[in-house]
Amino acid sequence: MLRFHAPGRSPTAGLILGLIITLAAVVAYSWYITRQISGLRELQNDLVDRNRKDSLQLLRIQNDLNSLGLAMRDMLDNDEPYPLTAWSAQFQRIRSDLDDALRREEQLAVARQTPEQKQVLRNSLAQFWDAVDRMFLLAQNGKEKDARAQIRLSLQARQAALSTAVSRLMVQNSESEEQAALRIRQIYDRVQHQVYVLLSATLIAIFLTSVYLIRSNRRLFAQLAALSEQRSELAQKLISTQESTLRYISRELHDEFGQILTAIGSMLSRAGNQSPEGSPIRTELREVCEIAQNTLENVRSLSQALHPVMLDESGLESTLDWYIPMVERQTGIAISYKKIGAPFPVNGNPAVHVYRVLQEALNNVARHSGAREALVRLQFLADTLQLEVEDHGSGFVAHSSKQGIGLVAMRERAELLRGAIEFLKPPEGGTLVRLRIPRDMPDSHVT
Amino acid sequence: MASASALPRLDGWAPTSPTAGFGLVDVTLQAGIQFHHNSGAYGGKLLPETLGSGCAFLDYDGDGWQDIILINGMDWPGHKRQRTTLRLYRNNRNGTFSDVTRKAGLDVEVYGMGVAVGDYNNDGFPDILVTSVGQNRLFRNTGKGTFLEVTRSSGLAGRQGFSTSALWFDFDRDGLLDLFVCNYVKWSPEHDVFCSLDAKHKSYCTPEAYRGETCWLFRNRGDGTFEDVTAKSGLFDSSSKSLGAAIVDYDRDGWPDLLVANDTQPNKLYRNMHDGTFKDVAVEAGIAFSAEGKARAGMGVDVADFNNSGTVGVAITNFDNEMTGLYRAVGNGIYEDVSMQAGIGLASKNSLGFGCAFLDGNLDGALDLLVANGHIDETVRNIRGNVGYAQPPQFFLNDGKGKFRDVASELGTEFNQPKVGRGLAYGDFDRDGDLDILMTTNNGPAFLFRNDQSSGNKSIRFRLVGTKSNHDAIGAAVRIFHGGGAQLRLVKSGSSYLSQSELPVTFGLGRQDGIERAVINWPSGRVEEFKSLAAGRTYECVEGKGITPLTGF
Repeated sequence: MLRFHAPGRSPTAGLILGLIITLAAVVAYSWYITRQISGLRELQNDLVDRNRKDSLQLLRIQNDLNSLGLAMRDMLDNDEPYPLTAWSAQFQRIRSDLDDALRREEQLAVARQTPEQKQVLRNSLAQFWDAVDRMFLLAQNGKEKDARAQIRLSLQARQAALSTAVSRLMVQNSESEEQAALRIRQIYDRVQHQVYVLLSATLIAIFLTSVYLIRSNRRLFAQLAALSEQRSELAQKLISTQESTLRYISRELHDEFGQILTAIGSMLSRAGNQSPEGSPIRTELREVCEIAQNTLENVRSLSQALHPVMLDESGLESTLDWYIPMVERQTGIAISYKKIGAPFPVNGNPAVHVYRVLQEALNNVARHSGAREALVRLQFLADTLQLEVEDHGSGFVAHSSKQGIGLVAMRERAELLRGAIEFLKPPEGGTLVRLRIPRDMPDSHVT
Repeated sequence: MASASALPRLDGWAPTSPTAGFGLVDVTLQAGIQFHHNSGAYGGKLLPETLGSGCAFLDYDGDGWQDIILINGMDWPGHKRQRTTLRLYRNNRNGTFSDVTRKAGLDVEVYGMGVAVGDYNNDGFPDILVTSVGQNRLFRNTGKGTFLEVTRSSGLAGRQGFSTSALWFDFDRDGLLDLFVCNYVKWSPEHDVFCSLDAKHKSYCTPEAYRGETCWLFRNRGDGTFEDVTAKSGLFDSSSKSLGAAIVDYDRDGWPDLLVANDTQPNKLYRNMHDGTFKDVAVEAGIAFSAEGKARAGMGVDVADFNNSGTVGVAITNFDNEMTGLYRAVGNGIYEDVSMQAGIGLASKNSLGFGCAFLDGNLDGALDLLVANGHIDETVRNIRGNVGYAQPPQFFLNDGKGKFRDVASELGTEFNQPKVGRGLAYGDFDRDGDLDILMTTNNGPAFLFRNDQSSGNKSIRFRLVGTKSNHDAIGAAVRIFHGGGAQLRLVKSGSSYLSQSELPVTFGLGRQDGIERAVINWPSGRVEEFKSLAAGRTYECVEGKGITPLTGF
């Protein structure tokens, strides 16, 4: 992996700042909302629920007062054959219910009623029951007429007054309920307003962070692209330098040293022929001549290996026909070589690159895979040339770290030809190198 | 109902089979009962028209066979078309009945509502109180197959009212049956209020439109006359709109208390204070209101130990859209409505229940609940689509573990037919040991359903005769014990709605051939115990004189 120092600042600091701002806003808002909700709950518990319960008790009180009113009306109607004292049990029942309701109501209304109000209600009720007791006492003593008069003149009026007082309390209750509702509404409005503010702040923070992120990303990608370009150029230059060097050395070897060795050989041969037969000099000359001949062979072979002249003269197909058996001989790996499809000429630089890829791939097979067999397929497709080198050895992944520059060079060559190279794992294991290049590949600048 | 399910199971007692184990066969016509209730309805939609009427099983001639009385209304003054009276049917002991109304002297025209049967003069023959709109009537049984109207001589005359259910009980424990009468509302034809469900046509009012009327309590002086102790006893309550009443010793002190179901008013539970007075404890007991604290439209009521816990629970039927209340005693005189858990609540929500009774329909040892349903207004379907005027009765079969299931549809097509049900009573008219059903409908026929067992379950029955206690032994409690389990039955007047069931008590025994012992708590306070009784028969127990098995039931 290539390391580089990017020009300009790293975006991390900016991003962290944005994140902190956003998180801080969320935390602050949560705190705010929690406070508002607890306030709302308090208000609801303290005021609304209490008011509701209080109203229910007031209704119960009102209902009891109503029942008292009805009972008194029944007493005055005088259509029962019973003395007025018959009603005392009914009054007692209503009284105990009323007492219970009042006790509960007082507990609930503790915040709202002034002590004076409470006192007024208590006093009027006490007076009412006092009058009731007096009335029943009259009835008990047989003074039914006086008792009825007591109901008409005193009890009914007191009952009506009590009823009015309770009604007032209920009105007061509903007013305070309305006030509570108003306050609740205000809280809701405030919360709603704050929601909008937070939402806008969050959106702005997210927007700014995003813009910053996009910009720095774009810069990063541009830098990456430039770097990649540079690296590619570098690699291509390396390749072309290598190719031209090899070609030069190959040609020099072939042309210069070949000529010299050929000349030395024929001179030695001639000198041998002139020396007397059977003389030791003649034998030595023949030996030197053989050495020169062998050296010439080796120089030629080295020249071929560095840069097969065949590539330039007869193209890729013929070169592979010669090269593959030679690799078999040199490495001892059995290579099954297949040509598929109708061949078309591949010359010049493309031929060189394909040849080099094959050379590297077979090198890898020989050096790393441990396989004793390899398959090479050269496919001439309609508009593509495909070269596949397959072995069933230890696999590509196992020794990928060692391949380093070789792989990079293969990729670069494929790229130079606007083709693609893949390193695959066949189902049987090992490695499959597949190079695909377009048929009308550019005769790119290698030299 | 956790505690109910924790009750000891009676070993060897038949578990409730997936089918009901019995059927209810309509034998009305076959038995010779031809009765049609006359509500007097002529289109005026007067309030009482929709509420009647009651029925009862009674053994008026003392022959051991349950006879039938059916209460009737009459035409309103000014709209006279026919003469209708109550009907007394004598049991012919062969599955049929004879109409003996005229012979018995009961063909008196009265706008009758309910009936209470009790031997108030302890002569061994049950007397009859007919409640009505107007003057209630008391008929004394002469013991010779006839009745004598003693309304005036007994001191009950001169009391106009809108009386509904009534019951006989000995509240002061002097051995004489006293009389409790429920009143509904203050009503007269001239002051009938216009109510409407659809804002166009007049319909029957709910009782909110009227003022309440107090119930009455009459103490039996023992000389054939009664003293009105309504005011003295503290029962007077001009706000009550009462329809159903039951005797219940809720505090188990041996003194009968009173439970009154009120329509749209809180129910009342009058605790007997032993000094001739009563105190309402319904609110404390949790029975005055629904669980939501609302006064419901109470109609019928029954009390029984439906979970074999040894304590007495309560059922109260209510208006449609209100569930039937099923109250379980949870101790300390407090009741808990377990209607929902028991499976009765939702099932009863769309029906308007009137008569109701706890009885062991399949004799498996767990009391079931039978409810007669029917709406008060025939136009109700226009307003509430899922509620009909005629409604099928409901027979809630008790599985013995606190769950009830309505099996009415399995018991018989005639039984399951929608009816405008009102009164309801049970009794073993054919003496085969199971409980047959008598049901009345408003402005329609009365039905007699014969119980035909297919379960093979056995039963045991007790007929109690008081000596120190009142002759009918009303208020007595019979307990039987077997295999770690126990059952309880009460001898009661009243209960249900406007109606009264037979006085003998019936226990379902499942497959058991007998019981270990029976304990009788007489109203007088006497306790008697009898051991090793065989199933399959009725036992006659005379207070202080031992027990006599009858041949068969």
